[in-house]
Amino acid sequence: MKDQVAVIGVGCTKFGDRFERSYEELIADAAFDAYADAGIEPAEIDAAYLGTYLPGAGGGKAAVSLGDALRLYDRPITRVENYCATGTDAFRNGCLAVAAGVADVVLVLGAEKLKDRGGRGIPRLGHPLLARGNTAPGLFALAANRYMHTFGLGRETLARVAVKNHHNGALNDKAHLRMEVTAEQVLKAPIIAWPFGLLDCCPTTDGAAAAIICRADRARRFKRDPVLVKGAGLAVTTGRPYFDPTFDYLGFRSTQAAARQAYAMAGVGPRDIDFAEVHDCFTWTEISNIEDLGFCAKGEGGRLVEEGRTALDGDIPVNPSGGLKSFGHPIGASGVRMIYECVTQLRGEAGARQVKHPELGLAHNVGGPGAVSCVVVLGRG
Amino acid sequence: MVGITRIATYVPRRRLDRTVLGQTWGTRVAPGRRSVAGLDEDPLTMAVDAVLACLDDADPAGFDALYFASTSAPYLEKQVASVVATATDLPRTTAVADFGGSVRAGVAALRVALDGVRAGSLRNVLVAAADARLAEPESELEPVLGDGAAAVAVGRDRVIAELVSAASVAEEFTYFWRTDEQRTVQVTEPRFGSSYGYARDVAEAVTAALRKAEVPPASVAGLALGAPDERTAAEAAKRAGCDPGRQLVPSLGSEVGVLGAPDPLALLARSLETAAPGDFLVVAGYGEGADALVFRATDALPASRPRPLADRLAHALPVTSYGRFLKARGLVPAETAGEPVTSIIEWKELAQDVRLHGSRCEACGLVQYPQTRVCIGCQARDRLVGHKLAKRGTVFTYTIDNLAPVAEHPLPMAVIDLEGGGRLYLQVTDAADGEVKVGTPVELTFRRLHEAGGNRHYFWKARPVL
Repeated sequence: MKDQVAVIGVGCTKFGDRFERSYEELIADAAFDAYADAGIEPAEIDAAYLGTYLPGAGGGKAAVSLGDALRLYDRPITRVENYCATGTDAFRNGCLAVAAGVADVVLVLGAEKLKDRGGRGIPRLGHPLLARGNTAPGLFALAANRYMHTFGLGRETLARVAVKNHHNGALNDKAHLRMEVTAEQVLKAPIIAWPFGLLDCCPTTDGAAAAIICRADRARRFKRDPVLVKGAGLAVTTGRPYFDPTFDYLGFRSTQAAARQAYAMAGVGPRDIDFAEVHDCFTWTEISNIEDLGFCAKGEGGRLVEEGRTALDGDIPVNPSGGLKSFGHPIGASGVRMIYECVTQLRGEAGARQVKHPELGLAHNVGGPGAVSCVVVLGRG
Repeated sequence: MVGITRIATYVPRRRLDRTVLGQTWGTRVAPGRRSVAGLDEDPLTMAVDAVLACLDDADPAGFDALYFASTSAPYLEKQVASVVATATDLPRTTAVADFGGSVRAGVAALRVALDGVRAGSLRNVLVAAADARLAEPESELEPVLGDGAAAVAVGRDRVIAELVSAASVAEEFTYFWRTDEQRTVQVTEPRFGSSYGYARDVAEAVTAALRKAEVPPASVAGLALGAPDERTAAEAAKRAGCDPGRQLVPSLGSEVGVLGAPDPLALLARSLETAAPGDFLVVAGYGEGADALVFRATDALPASRPRPLADRLAHALPVTSYGRFLKARGLVPAETAGEPVTSIIEWKELAQDVRLHGSRCEACGLVQYPQTRVCIGCQARDRLVGHKLAKRGTVFTYTIDNLAPVAEHPLPMAVIDLEGGGRLYLQVTDAADGEVKVGTPVELTFRRLHEAGGNRHYFWKARPVL
């Protein structure tokens, strides 16, 4: 698939508490942004992929919410749902369709309207007895506590991730939480699930993002400098890591496997990546993920952050967008939003948060936690 | 020889200092503390806890009957004994029955169990008595009652207290009652009920049992009476010809409260902590008449004494306010979100969810949970065989969660590596701040997890080993 698929347009709504916008309106905002960016008409879309975890009211467990939001009918639309890797996996599936030659131009759209529920966090789905009492922060906290116990990390190191990502997000007018935070604020915030305080957690966010992809050999009809898909990988491991007696809780096998696949397809290694949008649903998640992605050895992610190497001006900037931590995390939208950020950075259009002359960018989501990971490597043509 | 082979008491870790009640209502209350069942506890769960403590390392397959006794069972229609038998992994062929009606049910069930073994129709029987009775707020009964359970194993082998005789009295007398529409225990004029009801009937049954056993009252080493209060117990003892100060087993009143159905059994357990072989012990239960049983401690007792109650009482979690007390006892609404466990899921997963059986892979030996077709260690198909999991383990990792949709925060959740293999992920209950850490030893306890679909759903939780 390497170099066979190009991203010719991207769009993204303002992320945040979008009480004034419906689920379908957010989809329309993101899609029409992307159409305009690509310079195409909706009629030119051959197929679409909707990444969403909870469809909007009345949307059903199907792809109809995308069709109805855009009045895009009579062509294949597939709904993808794969925990927090939903958006990146929707993108990956769209790329596969283009690479397979069954569609020339594909719309990939991730959308989520989590705030409409009126509750905190995301609804619990699953067995009525087993693992009852779990929450998203609680599940990642299980890994964080074992990791911190093993490697002797303190909450102070986790706080550095929040400080960095809020700094980047404050430069981004589409981010949900556009404020700087201090390490002291992070450490003193109320505890959600130990060791995570409120500011160690990403917010519950509404938003949508879109990408339009097409056959690379036809991309220059739409864009002078299209961004090319270099590699993509997806790996699923157990969705019940807490029952797996062989799991060491020090990182996620799914991320390691998805990264191996994506690097192999792209013919590159982690050292070739110039910046990365990495799943930072909680501060610790970023530290462990940059190890699993190969940017440093296991147990050294905290040091990488403390030494400033993942900052905007570091040697491997991580989450220049502000990440889930500051930009927000509308589950199905996040992965596509990362594609939006990678494309924006590779085009050199990221403004105050622009990393220097990037050639290769990486987007990564992990959900479950650890159950599903998707990695996409994008590069300049 | 027929008699008691094992005995154990369960008292919830939560304890309410009675001064909290005194301060709340501006009344004078007797000093001491009462036990308080947590929001996830009820007589069903406390019975499971008591039976597990009673069984200890004994094989549940060796028991052929289990009787449950309570006046405050969580169901009016649905048998509790069979739930307790399943959760404690007794065989499917176990004879089960629920006893209720009055707090006499505990001793009555014990008498029926002993009779069954004596008649030769049963080999080993478990009796589980548990109560969490509600008193009217501000009533004199509110500080007096306590919550707890006791379990007694009865059989012919390795008997620690041999049954010598039994006697009963049955006569209508309205002392304590609760209609099908009342949540709280009602009581008649206490001075009258105590003398003309309790003391009269209990003394008559004890006297008759001692006469049958040809044991003079003065020779009784311990008189285990589950009385409404110490004065009433003393009056009954005197009427039976005993010296209350010397012969009454000290009541649990000041530390735990009056437990109801399990109370006399818990006192019997307490007397067996120190009794000498050859000692005569009497246990009696009251309610519209009385049952009295006379036991003689055997030479096997010193090697199989019950765990001292004082050990269990040593690590109390204080209930710090009347509001917390009301919440623990389910008297203020506590909303929890949850999905119902349908009868279909319950039936399909009974071994996994209630008996707590996981699997062991015959190909690679890995013990795992939940039960599946394919091994998580080696992916071998259909090589997994049912494997009973241990109920003790160590915290591998944990969190303390404030977001979970449960009634009480914070909620500790732990990933636990079990002794003998298998890993579970459970809520941790009855833990003080700082007790749940990587490496904390825990044991499993069967608790109320949530309510949904108009029913109560039970599952296993972990608690720190104290």
